[in-house]
Amino acid sequence: MTILTRNMHGLSPRRRRERLFAAALLFPCFAFVALFAFYPIVHSLYLSLHRIILGLPGLAQPFVYLENYRQLWGDSVARHALTNTILFVAVSTTCELFLGLAMALTINRSFRGRGLIRAAVLIPWAIPTVVASQMWRFINNDHYGFLNYLLFGNDLASYQAWLADPSFAMVAIMVADIWKTSAFAALIILAGLQTIPDELYEAARLDGATAWQQFARITLPLIKPALLIALLFRTMDAFRVFDLVFVMTQGGPADATNVLQFYGYKKMFAEGLLGYGATVSVLVFLIVLGLSLVYVRFLGGEMREEKP
Amino acid sequence: MDRMPGRGPASLRRRWPVFGLIVLLALCLSLAGCGNQGKKENGNILRFYTWKPNQPEVWEEIVKIFEAEHPGVKVWREIGPHSSTSFHDLLAQKLKNRSKDLDVFLMDVVWPAEFAAAGWALALDDRFRKADRSRFFANTIQANTYGGKIYGVPLYIDAGMLYYRRDLLAKHHFKPPETWPELVRQAAVITAGERGIYGFSGQFKQYEGLVCNMMEYVMANKGCLVNPRQGKPGLAEPPAREAVLFVRDHLIGNAAPAGALAYEEPESLALFVQGKAVFHRNWPYAWEAANDPARSRVAGKTGVAPLPAFPGGKSHAALGGWQLGISPYSENKDLAWDFVRFLTSDRIQKHLALKAGLAPTRKDLYDDREILAACPQFKEMKGVFVSAAPRPVSPLYPALSNIMQRYFSRAISGAGAGIDQESRLASEEMEKILTLAP
Repeated sequence: MTILTRNMHGLSPRRRRERLFAAALLFPCFAFVALFAFYPIVHSLYLSLHRIILGLPGLAQPFVYLENYRQLWGDSVARHALTNTILFVAVSTTCELFLGLAMALTINRSFRGRGLIRAAVLIPWAIPTVVASQMWRFINNDHYGFLNYLLFGNDLASYQAWLADPSFAMVAIMVADIWKTSAFAALIILAGLQTIPDELYEAARLDGATAWQQFARITLPLIKPALLIALLFRTMDAFRVFDLVFVMTQGGPADATNVLQFYGYKKMFAEGLLGYGATVSVLVFLIVLGLSLVYVRFLGGEMREEKP
Repeated sequence: MDRMPGRGPASLRRRWPVFGLIVLLALCLSLAGCGNQGKKENGNILRFYTWKPNQPEVWEEIVKIFEAEHPGVKVWREIGPHSSTSFHDLLAQKLKNRSKDLDVFLMDVVWPAEFAAAGWALALDDRFRKADRSRFFANTIQANTYGGKIYGVPLYIDAGMLYYRRDLLAKHHFKPPETWPELVRQAAVITAGERGIYGFSGQFKQYEGLVCNMMEYVMANKGCLVNPRQGKPGLAEPPAREAVLFVRDHLIGNAAPAGALAYEEPESLALFVQGKAVFHRNWPYAWEAANDPARSRVAGKTGVAPLPAFPGGKSHAALGGWQLGISPYSENKDLAWDFVRFLTSDRIQKHLALKAGLAPTRKDLYDDREILAACPQFKEMKGVFVSAAPRPVSPLYPALSNIMQRYFSRAISGAGAGIDQESRLASEEMEKILTLAP
């Protein structure tokens, strides 16, 4: 906006009107973003600098400088939640990228029923996360869950309580996430694949390149931007994982699936520690912001290389 | 912008008032939409926040009676999640935002202190008179009192009970166990002779119910969660640690399935009603469920008793139950109070007892012949109700509870750094909270 309306003096009346017009067109979008993105972020920052406890309105809302951040630094539960989150992000995004790549390569080939397969691949992604989480909770159930039936059939004695096992519960959540969002990665990678002209492969074949050489020398370099975009979206999304944990385990058993967003939610809404909960949210925001800046630098570099 | 073809801006320029009008119109419409929604509220709609009841048809009947007696009044039931914790979060969110779209809500027995301190529940002193209060169980009135004022009316009472398979115990000539080690011994004998059956099922998931269950073990061993006199946490003291160790070593993965670490009430009850558990810890509602032939394989074979103690200790049941509170932001406070008084009246509590098996909070109803004929279990349960112990009372109870949930869950699943260190850490954290709000 400001860029558009700045230095208007030297402009011809027509250019000036054009700029004003552009500004008018952009205003609704800017107002929307300001209201729904900037305001909440700024407000969270504000909350995180105060001690606000819903259960004790008598405390008022004193400004405590960085006290909440100091507390968060020494909070062993939060540190544990951060470790859990990082583990979740690393494992699930890696798996999703590989699976997504495999899916994209498959559905990029032309074969009979491709349209059907393409639609089918997208189904998990189209299911609302809460519904999918509930489904996975049933699949992992110790008495009537499908996973036990698949593994042990009618041998009821070996049935396992997957979500009650602190070491497996996190795996169950990762599996649910991978199942659900690999399709998203596949979609973005597929878009990248479709921009590669067939002539390149043709030329490569004439030169006698093997399938692997074609993949490594042509496909992979050309879909790198798409891969990076998929990685960026998935990492940011995975860092904010909440609904899967909320529905499947509520952070348990033994805090094994307690992730940062869920911890912040619990502090805010269950315990009423508004200031401290906001501090956790700000931490998640900063981490995601940092990550995306790194990725965007990467991406920007890639894009510039593409141009000439 | 520079590369825009000459005609573009000119034609756009002519049209842009039109664009502006459209944008304005859209804005007006959306604002008008909001306004309309606000206007839908009128004096005769009462919004009642409740969770999904086990017998929805009973609640529908009750609401119909109220609507019939109050012509023109409509009760809207908003159904929240079954889990007490999630239901709390929903209410907290509404009340924190001073939402006007709830009038009456259910409160778990541990919330009144918090709701009172936060200003989320209306003080009912001028409506809920002392004489009327004396008709209720004293511990339920105590649970609704904070800082000398009363904030809720007890609707029904809950307390932890031991359910057992009468047929299986009789087969082995056992009497209902009075101590936990005895229960484990009996369970071992019985499960050795039966197929596909566990000894015990209870609620051990990381949630509020875990605190209730564990409090019963701890107090049955002469321990405490928070010492009521000094206000100090008692988790790190020997009786509490011993009780937790007992649960970890003799119940989870032994008498009870390892899966119990993920059980709330419905899952643990399912095990019992399918005939897959000898003993079962649950609230009074489980009696109805276990004795309903349509839903249960153990109908008519079930007994109920006070929970066992540890040798030298005394049986303790966690006090549960639900209260009705009124939102201070309600625009219909008088009607809301009518509804609360109606729901907690003798006749409706009786209705709830007969039809839904919910235990009344009014003492006199335990002498009612009709109720005792329909619910003979209440005779056995009354003694447990009178002496049921409250969880720690604090406006910051949810924070205390989260610390305890985390500790108990880690301790009984064998995760973390061992019970000595974990219990000390949990006590320290609880003490920090307790000093914030004595």
